[in-house]
Amino acid sequence: MMVRVLSIALGLAVTAQPAWAEIGRIKRSVGATAIERGKAKLTPAPGFQLQPGDTLVTGKDGQMSLTFIDDTRFAVGPNSRISVDEFDYNRTTQAGSFVTRVNRGSLAVISGQIAKSRQDAMKVRTPTSLLGVRGTRFIVEVPK
Amino acid sequence: MSPRLFAPLAASALLAGCATPSLTLLPSEEGKQGAVAVLEENGRPVETVVNELNSRTNLSGRPRTRSIDPSKLTARQLALLQTLPPPPVRLTLYFLEGTTSLTPESTPGLNFLTQEVSERPGAEVQVTGYTDTLGSEDDNDRLSQQRAEQVLTILAAQGISPEMLNAVGRGERDLRVPTPDGVREPANRRVVVTIR
Repeated sequence: MMVRVLSIALGLAVTAQPAWAEIGRIKRSVGATAIERGKAKLTPAPGFQLQPGDTLVTGKDGQMSLTFIDDTRFAVGPNSRISVDEFDYNRTTQAGSFVTRVNRGSLAVISGQIAKSRQDAMKVRTPTSLLGVRGTRFIVEVPK
Repeated sequence: MSPRLFAPLAASALLAGCATPSLTLLPSEEGKQGAVAVLEENGRPVETVVNELNSRTNLSGRPRTRSIDPSKLTARQLALLQTLPPPPVRLTLYFLEGTTSLTPESTPGLNFLTQEVSERPGAEVQVTGYTDTLGSEDDNDRLSQQRAEQVLTILAAQGISPEMLNAVGRGERDLRVPTPDGVREPANRRVVVTIR
C-alpha cells in the first residue's frame, strides 16, 4: 500500500505490485531501538518488516542491522535517527530508487541492486549534503 | 604556505573532522573500487566524486577528501562494520521436464538452505520459479509459480516459518540459457532461492 501511494506521489507508472509490500527486514536490534511509522512507535525484532517512510531510531546504547530486498545492507549506530524517505524497487528489472536521510548518528552501508541500476538511483541525505551512491561500502556520520 | 602557518590549520581541521558530518569511503568486501558523489552541499549543487578508498570527506563546507589508515578506524566505525549483515546467498535448484519434481542432484540443496536460514535471524527467503520455452507462455507462468510454491512448501515442512517465505513465478522470462521458443533446456527449468 505504502509503495503504491509513494509511486503515485512520485508520478511513476503503477505496475502490478507483488503481494509483498515489505522493503526490508531487521536482522538484529540491540539496546534502545524503535521504528517510527507515521504516529506509531514500533519495537523492532529480527524479522520485523520495514516499509517506505519508516524512521530507524536508536538510543545511546542502541544498534540495528537490516537488509533490503535489493540486497542493500545497513548497520545503524547509537544515537541515530535515520529515515527511509523513498524506496521503490522492481524485482523483475532490478531497478528503482532509494533515498535515505541520516538526521543524526551513524550509518554503514553496503549498496545493492538499486545503486547499480542507474547513476545516483541511491541517495543519502544529511542535514548539510546530498550524496549519490555509486556502488560501494561506506559510513556516514552526523554528530549532534 | 609556510610550515608555521600550516600546523595550526591542520590541527583545527582535525578537530573539525570529529564534529562535522563526514563520509568514510571503504573498499567493498571483495576489495573492489566504489565511489560516492557529493551532489549538494549546504543547499548548493556541487559534484565532487569521492573515489579514493580508505578516505574521509567532510560533508559541511567545501568537501575535502583525506586518506585514512584503514587499520585505525574508530571503535564506533569498527562496531558498525562488524554489525553489517552478511551478504545474501543464492542457490539454484533444477526440475524434471514439465513437472514440479526436483532433479535428484538438486535435492540435497534443500538441507543447505534450511541450515543457512537457521543461521540468519530474521531471514527473508525469496523463491523465484522459471521454466524452459517448451509450451505456452501462460502454461509456463503457471508451472514456474507451481515450482516456486513446491519449494516453498518443502522449506516450510522443514521448519522454516512461512512468514519468512515468498514465492513468485517468472515463466520463460530471464532464461539462464537463451533459446528460441519451444526448446527443451534443463538449465532453464529452475527455482532460484535467495536468503537475505
